[in-house]
Amino acid sequence: MKRTGLVFVIAILCFVSLEAQSSGQSTATYAPENGFGAQGVELASIQLASLKEASAEEEETDAVESSGETVPDPLEPMNRAFFEFNDKLYFWVLKPVATGYKTVVPEEARVCVRNFFTNLAFPVRFANNLFQGKFFGAFEETCGFLVNSTVGLGGLADIATAVDLKRHDEDLGQTLAVHGAGPAFYIYWPFFGPSTLRDTIGMAGDIFLDPLTYLGDYWYAPYSRGLNVVNETSLRIGDYESLKKAALDPYVALRDAFYQNRLSKIKE
Amino acid sequence: MVNCMLKWKTLVPMVLMMAFSWAFPAWAGVPTEKVKETADKIIAIVSDPSLKDPAKAAQRRERIRRTVDELCDWEEMSRRSLGRHWAQRTEQEKKEFVHLFGQLLERTYVDKVEGYSGEKVNYLGERVDGDYAEVDVKVVTNKNTEIPVIYRMRAKDQKWWVYDMVIEGVSLVNNYRTQFSDIMAKSSFEGLMKKLREKSAE
Repeated sequence: MKRTGLVFVIAILCFVSLEAQSSGQSTATYAPENGFGAQGVELASIQLASLKEASAEEEETDAVESSGETVPDPLEPMNRAFFEFNDKLYFWVLKPVATGYKTVVPEEARVCVRNFFTNLAFPVRFANNLFQGKFFGAFEETCGFLVNSTVGLGGLADIATAVDLKRHDEDLGQTLAVHGAGPAFYIYWPFFGPSTLRDTIGMAGDIFLDPLTYLGDYWYAPYSRGLNVVNETSLRIGDYESLKKAALDPYVALRDAFYQNRLSKIKE
Repeated sequence: MVNCMLKWKTLVPMVLMMAFSWAFPAWAGVPTEKVKETADKIIAIVSDPSLKDPAKAAQRRERIRRTVDELCDWEEMSRRSLGRHWAQRTEQEKKEFVHLFGQLLERTYVDKVEGYSGEKVNYLGERVDGDYAEVDVKVVTNKNTEIPVIYRMRAKDQKWWVYDMVIEGVSLVNNYRTQFSDIMAKSSFEGLMKKLREKSAE
């Protein structure tokens, strides 16, 4: 009992010092880009001040273009071809399959399947929290994994979120970014969708941390990954459609949404 | 123990934020109220059983639209989405652009909220600095996902107006600005207007 108390104290200290460090860093790095990843009162006022500046200046300069918040896309013609391919793949194959699956499997069960796969991917999040020096994140992830794997019946129920244990969704792409790697350029992969060169390398590395990779016979991994994709799609039917409906150029809209979302995850 | 630590962790910024918000004028607490008021009204409209009838769909959409109009500053959204190109446009062009783009945004918003299925909206806090404010919201869906949303607001004529929404780190205005500048780089402002007109005719 004494020992656990000590672990808690160390974890709190690590967390406090890291939090202070990371918010300081992100002010320096992202305030000029109007970033809003980190929290804190003083930070917010700095950022709001930079927002005001941006509104005053934006008639002269385009804030997006000048701050590097867009990702270079030298492979655009090829990427657009793959975008068309995935678009057809979605409407002709994935969506019908996911819709069929959805009519057979009730939503509660599909949420359980999602929870199971999310819990299983714990080693990826844990390792990348460590790689980024986010010891509290790694600690909280571990608590969540232990709770969900036991009380949550092998991860089917997400008890961790219910008891306020936060998920720290880190991957190798973010780890590389935190250590200074830029995105290089945008890649839209057939089947896998939006990525960058950095995040592709990250994804390849994360495969080694993914327990599914080591699931016995090599047949199980593709099957379980397939189930994960269909299950996830069944819970998100309509998202891609509404993105397309709202966009003037769906390819650019998705590229930008992917990249902005990535930036915000890296900042966290 | 873990729970207690987490509460302590969230309590500190909350207390700080409260202390800071008292330093601002009396209407400083208004941004969250304005967002909440609109969200509550919209939830009331979409869950109103008397409007569920398909025959009343048009009436329902119209009511949602009017409510959203009270929250969103379409002109400011248009101005920010066009970025540096805004200043180069004539009054007539600006007017048509605001009209078409406003329509597109409004329609997107109405489509989104029409799919409402009991999601919960949590108000996490707000940051106010002069005429600018940000309201942090978390939408909790019944599929065990949490969607963080930030409403960026500006005070105009003693009222708060939303000029951008950041959903899961993706700013709506930035997303459109990237699309618009890409289209204009490849064709022209006229080309962009043509696409907008086509979109609104869809």
